Amino acid sequence: MSTALLQELHQELRRLYIAGSDLAAGDFRLKRMLPQFQQLGERAPVFKRLAESITALVEPADSLQHRSAECLQDVTLLLESVLRTQGVTTVSGELGQLDSRPTNLTTFLPYRKLADVERALMTTGSGRYEIIVHAFEEGMFQDLRLMSLAINALQDPYTDIVNYTMKHVLPGYGEQIVPHLVRSFDATGGKLEARKLKVIGEVGSEDMLGLIYEAAESGSDDVRIAGIEALGKHQQYESSLVEWSKDKKKSIREAAYFALAEMGTDTAAARLHEAFSGKDMELAAEAAAKCDSMQLTMKLVKDLGAELHRALELKNDKKKMEVLWTKVQHYLTGLEGKRSTELYALYTYTVEHYALFISFGWMDLIDYAANYLSQESTEEALRLLQQLEQNNVRYIPHAFRAAFQQLSPAELFDYYVESLRNKWKMVMNKDTNKRKQQLFRVVEELVIEREYKQCPTLWGAQQEQSTLLAIEMPPLEQMAVQWDSRWLAWFMEQGATELVCAFASPGHKGCQQFMLQQLTEHTGFSTSTAGLLLAGLERAEAEEHVRYEALMTLLENKRNKMGYVFEWNVWEQLCQLPATYHARLAAIAPNYRYTAGNQLEYVLRVMQADGTAVHAGQSV
Amino acid sequence: MLIEITESYIDSLAPNSSAIKNGQGLVKKRSFVRFNRSQDATLLFGECSGSGSSNYQCSADFIHPENPVLRCSCPSRQLPCKHALGLLYAYVGGAEFIEAEVPEDILLKREKVEKREEKKSKQAAEGVEAKPKKVNKSALKKKVQAQLDGLELLEKLVLSLIRGGLATIDKKVLKTIDEHVKQMGNYYLTGAQMELRQLSLLLKQASEREEFYTYAVEQLTLIHALVKKGRTHLTAKLADPELALDHESTIEEWLGHAWQLDQLKACGLMKEQVELVQLAYFSYDDQARQELVDLGYWLERSSGEIHRTIQYRPYKASKHMKEEDSYFDVVQVPALYTYPGDMNRRVRWENMTPRSIDPQVIASMSKHGHSSYAEAIKLVKNQLKNPLSDRNPVMLVHVAEVVQNEQGQYAIVDQAGQQLALEDIAPTNQGTVSLLPYIPADQLSDATMLVMFEHRIAEGKLYVQPLTIIKGADMIRLLY
Repeated sequence: MSTALLQELHQELRRLYIAGSDLAAGDFRLKRMLPQFQQLGERAPVFKRLAESITALVEPADSLQHRSAECLQDVTLLLESVLRTQGVTTVSGELGQLDSRPTNLTTFLPYRKLADVERALMTTGSGRYEIIVHAFEEGMFQDLRLMSLAINALQDPYTDIVNYTMKHVLPGYGEQIVPHLVRSFDATGGKLEARKLKVIGEVGSEDMLGLIYEAAESGSDDVRIAGIEALGKHQQYESSLVEWSKDKKKSIREAAYFALAEMGTDTAAARLHEAFSGKDMELAAEAAAKCDSMQLTMKLVKDLGAELHRALELKNDKKKMEVLWTKVQHYLTGLEGKRSTELYALYTYTVEHYALFISFGWMDLIDYAANYLSQESTEEALRLLQQLEQNNVRYIPHAFRAAFQQLSPAELFDYYVESLRNKWKMVMNKDTNKRKQQLFRVVEELVIEREYKQCPTLWGAQQEQSTLLAIEMPPLEQMAVQWDSRWLAWFMEQGATELVCAFASPGHKGCQQFMLQQLTEHTGFSTSTAGLLLAGLERAEAEEHVRYEALMTLLENKRNKMGYVFEWNVWEQLCQLPATYHARLAAIAPNYRYTAGNQLEYVLRVMQADGTAVHAGQSV
Repeated sequence: MLIEITESYIDSLAPNSSAIKNGQGLVKKRSFVRFNRSQDATLLFGECSGSGSSNYQCSADFIHPENPVLRCSCPSRQLPCKHALGLLYAYVGGAEFIEAEVPEDILLKREKVEKREEKKSKQAAEGVEAKPKKVNKSALKKKVQAQLDGLELLEKLVLSLIRGGLATIDKKVLKTIDEHVKQMGNYYLTGAQMELRQLSLLLKQASEREEFYTYAVEQLTLIHALVKKGRTHLTAKLADPELALDHESTIEEWLGHAWQLDQLKACGLMKEQVELVQLAYFSYDDQARQELVDLGYWLERSSGEIHRTIQYRPYKASKHMKEEDSYFDVVQVPALYTYPGDMNRRVRWENMTPRSIDPQVIASMSKHGHSSYAEAIKLVKNQLKNPLSDRNPVMLVHVAEVVQNEQGQYAIVDQAGQQLALEDIAPTNQGTVSLLPYIPADQLSDATMLVMFEHRIAEGKLYVQPLTIIKGADMIRLLY
């Protein structure tokens, strides 16, 4: 049957629908087609019927009574039915084997779970990141139907999703993702292609190196950078990396320097060192900091030494000194985290010439030296640091850390407190105060650790995790071994509340008293200090009811600053509060809003539940 | 006796995924004040605090373990609610349930259920047939007359649109169409109402995208067919003194009739003891119906026929209705009700028992695949030429191999070398063709595939979209 003719008729009828069937009468295009239908109609009855309907449409017997719309509907309805029996099911062109990139994935997810993740990957809007992370953690991405969507997520408008996909989801498929990435990879593309290449470089086998090299050589800038980064692990591309490090574009050179640093071979080290003498010093310095090559470290130390000596010659030329200082800073950056005897010697020299370098205004140099020395546990280093500490209170923490490592607890206390007894009494002296603050700071850093911890949001609406600030202190036994017992008394004498909490020893009535006094006298504790006090009381083994009372005192204090959220330690104590405090707690609950309010509400609820549970237990 | 349930079983009881989340949330939040169980371990009950002033009493009754009853005193219209689900999650999660007396109200409710069951079985034993509902014939006659009037109105509107031309339709005309959509409800023509609303939606889009005119024309001819066939049917019905329903064609549904199970049974459209396996599932938003539609395709194991389950969730009630899900077990149905129709008839059942699927069951389904595409195409075309038939029939076909041309278009080939071009089609709203390369080649040759057909009038092509692949004992669900 002549399908083309039928299609043509369909097009003409469609035109009449759009233009209006009132224009159908006498339509010359349809009229022109009519004879063909009439001719075909002699053999096939369908065409005959079509021809009759077309005639009714274009050649109305009575133009006044013409029901054009009805005629148009009739002929189209018939035509569509005919067309529906004419659908072609074949594919044009030469047919070959399916271009297969098989995976071992299955289709195990039910609709409700799968559709949620698909929506998150295919639409925009809030809350999608959490769904994707949850899906990955639950292993849902092992469902075949999510793989291509995961690849698409590399171009999501929300960068967190992009990064998560690139770092976790796609590498999670292992090598089988590679052919799918390669298939759509276009080296001339932008960021999306660079991301694909990154994943290919991470999970691809050695076979992919050719492709990565090609991309690094001739791709777009973004792609080249990703390619160069990926080649840092493969020594056979050393010479290419050296070449790229001389590229015209800064971003390419930068990538090449970092890749060379990762490679760490002699040639790579030599190239990085070479770059220090050119315009790329800054880039080379940052890359060098990441390079493990001993050879490079030695060369840089030697250069830095030479520059420091040159400073002596140039000290009167302000301009040249400025240039020199920039250079020195780059060397310092490049040497960050490196350790060698030569570097030790160089820093020793620096500290010994403290006054000179300070006169140049090169405090950073001394800082680097102090940092380096505080990690060196030798007597000589300690002596140097103590020398620094005398020059500037800024270096007390460095020296104290080193001393803490090397001296016995008694020696440490003697050195820092006992020998300066008289000095510490000068409360008004500015320098003494500064020294004291620095000392408190470093001790605090050693014994009190503040970190954010995840805990289930028991008080919230969902099964989410909340982060609370937690205070961690070394266990009591460790404190007893590491620290002289005299510290506690001295901290109480100095009124260092937080340190007293950390140094509190079991059964020490004095410190208990001290802490309780702080509780009542000082008002307006933040929740972190309050937590510290409660933890301190626990360390001092204060009796339970004393601690509960302390907590209630804190909560009932109208001027405290815990209005928004109860942090980890306070929250922990709150959860332990026995149900007998229900009434008192309920009375102050209205003072707390936001998270803190919800937390209190939860505690009150649990108290009530515990009470009834006990009750129910008895009745059985 | 111990109640044996798993977390995934509780998931399947939940009406939707957020009920799962919220139920588990209650356990984590420790909102439950009390956990109890009866001495004979058939009942779990507890108290959960909520936003109300008093706690909610929720319970899960396993006295009939295959059909647990979840109750709760909360005002939620979701059934089961998050509290009852939470109670079960807590139970599975290992919470301690203290033994206690069964509450009074549960005892009362159990008694009522028992009485009802007793009465039912007694009636069944006595062979008392439920009295056929009395039909108020004069009211029915009035209704049919109203439907005829409605069709008249619909035709008048449509013809006037065509006379003026679709290109001249502006906001004012669209408003008139929408008013007519509302009126169709007054004439008891809910089926026609949806088709007119669909036309209105298409015309609204046609002003921006020209190809929508093609769809609008198709929709207009569909309405034309509906009016013509509907009028003939209704006139014949009026003449019939019994005013009987037509149980052979789909015209009743097109006009808006909602079949009831006893009506179907009366028309002899019920089969007993049937086993079904779900082959594909998806859910979509039907704007013309103003409903969410959950659609499942099932294979009847003995006959090899492919049936459809359709659940409509009206927008307004969607929050309170259970969203269906993919189903992986074999379903044993004591009574399967079939709707009138051609291929893929709609089916419903009241009760079913699941049975876990084993590899043999999957392997045995392959034999139902059509091995000759020429025959399959003939069947499909035969259905498609009827304007009021389902436009997207679904079939199981045997696949000798999957091939592709240089432009990357895929096709499946049967033993005789006949092709069926593969393409993602509109109704599923979800691509599956692009997944084929991900599947190992041996799974794609000499396999069985569930496909959905679509004829595209503008292209003159009949495409199929692969929904599911069965190879040996593996079932790969490309859709859901």
